[in-house]
Amino acid sequence: MTATPEVRRRRLQHSLVLLVPAVLFGLLVAVQWRTQIERSALSVRYNAPLIDAANALQTEQDKLKTDLADLRKRLDEIQRNASTQTGAERELQSRIDDLMSSAGLTPRSGDGVVVQLDDARNVSVTSRDIDKSICHSTDLTDIINTAWKGGAEAIAVNDERVVSSSSVYCVGSTIMVNGRLMSPPFNVVAIGPQNGILGAFDDPNQLQDIKQRRDVQGLGFHVTRASAIHVPAYSGALNIRYAQPH
Amino acid sequence: MKTNFGSISLAVVALFLGVAAATQFRSQDVYSRSLELETPSSLTTLIANLSERNNELRNEIFDLRRDLESAQSSVSSGQGTLSEAEKQVVRLRVFSAESAVSGPGIAIRIDGGFDERALSDLVNELRNAGAEAITVNEVRVGPRSFFSGTADHAVAVDGRALRGPWTVRAVGSPDVVYVAMTRTGGIIGQFELIYRTTRFTVTKETALDLPALAPPSR
Repeated sequence: MTATPEVRRRRLQHSLVLLVPAVLFGLLVAVQWRTQIERSALSVRYNAPLIDAANALQTEQDKLKTDLADLRKRLDEIQRNASTQTGAERELQSRIDDLMSSAGLTPRSGDGVVVQLDDARNVSVTSRDIDKSICHSTDLTDIINTAWKGGAEAIAVNDERVVSSSSVYCVGSTIMVNGRLMSPPFNVVAIGPQNGILGAFDDPNQLQDIKQRRDVQGLGFHVTRASAIHVPAYSGALNIRYAQPH
Repeated sequence: MKTNFGSISLAVVALFLGVAAATQFRSQDVYSRSLELETPSSLTTLIANLSERNNELRNEIFDLRRDLESAQSSVSSGQGTLSEAEKQVVRLRVFSAESAVSGPGIAIRIDGGFDERALSDLVNELRNAGAEAITVNEVRVGPRSFFSGTADHAVAVDGRALRGPWTVRAVGSPDVVYVAMTRTGGIIGQFELIYRTTRFTVTKETALDLPALAPPSR
């Protein structure tokens, strides 16, 4: 077995070619392994059942909201049929209709403004600006506040109607509106006078922080005039337990 | 044969490399949101929130079933549904802040620098804790209320300027709302770090009297 210098050189080249990717591969495996270890043992052990529980509760909530909407509808029908009988009942029924509408318990359609809010695309988790590149619950409350200020008559966030008991709640990077789990992109639909609402959003003193993050970090934020938009009725509980009217 | 073996092993290594690089990129580089990425402690908080919501929904469904039955029997006995309708009006007026209400709850006194965005966050937090009626000083917060600033460092609710020190009152379960505001890492704790010279005093109240929402002054 006498290898010529030519063949020996080629073999050496072959093994060098394999060496570089092998080293890189090893490096990646090591980094990957280290990040796995850094995630606490707790999260590996408990996350799966916790995620299942959260998803099951959300599914149950959807069903309960459907049941509640159905019951409200049936009660409404009974009262509406009965209210044709006397004048007092008719008057009371129209009072209920007004109240339901102003409380957000009836769907609404009309012209208005749609605001889209989204995380900046491809944000690196190692970026120093990550906090400014993603949307937060306070961005949503600021947008809702600005829309009311502009004269909005009805608002929904990703099809959850904003009513007197509505809150935007944030845990970790998950956001809840009316107790429903949500994630970006957010569509805030505001029905009302278009010029007034647009004027509030265009006001340079409003939402300075969001506008700056849109321009610098690429946060998704678009305000558009929209016709024939729709907001659903509130489907949650009224939940009056402690307040006594007088 | 030798060349073949070489290129096959090279291909295998390259494939692994590609897969590893892709996994690495996906799992590490790009920020993404999903429940999978939450910590067990965040997930536990989310679950507590979801089950509280579902309990409220179940209670409301229970009450509404009873109302429905009594409305049905009133109709079949020829009495009409006047009393059910009246009950509904009372509830809706409370919900839409049209009636003055009384009840237990909490009061938060804010003495020092503060602003409209913090006030809006505080109201959001109170609603999330289940507050049923809220006032800032003597102004009732309604379903469409908005918060703004004024030139002289006052805050305004629905365009009505309110001067500090402010008192925010909320009717609801005193224990639940109090704990939600004052817990470690809660909103009052955050305010105390941001507005260092401002004093925040939270008290449980047995009897609050809150006025109705004033007609719009736009």
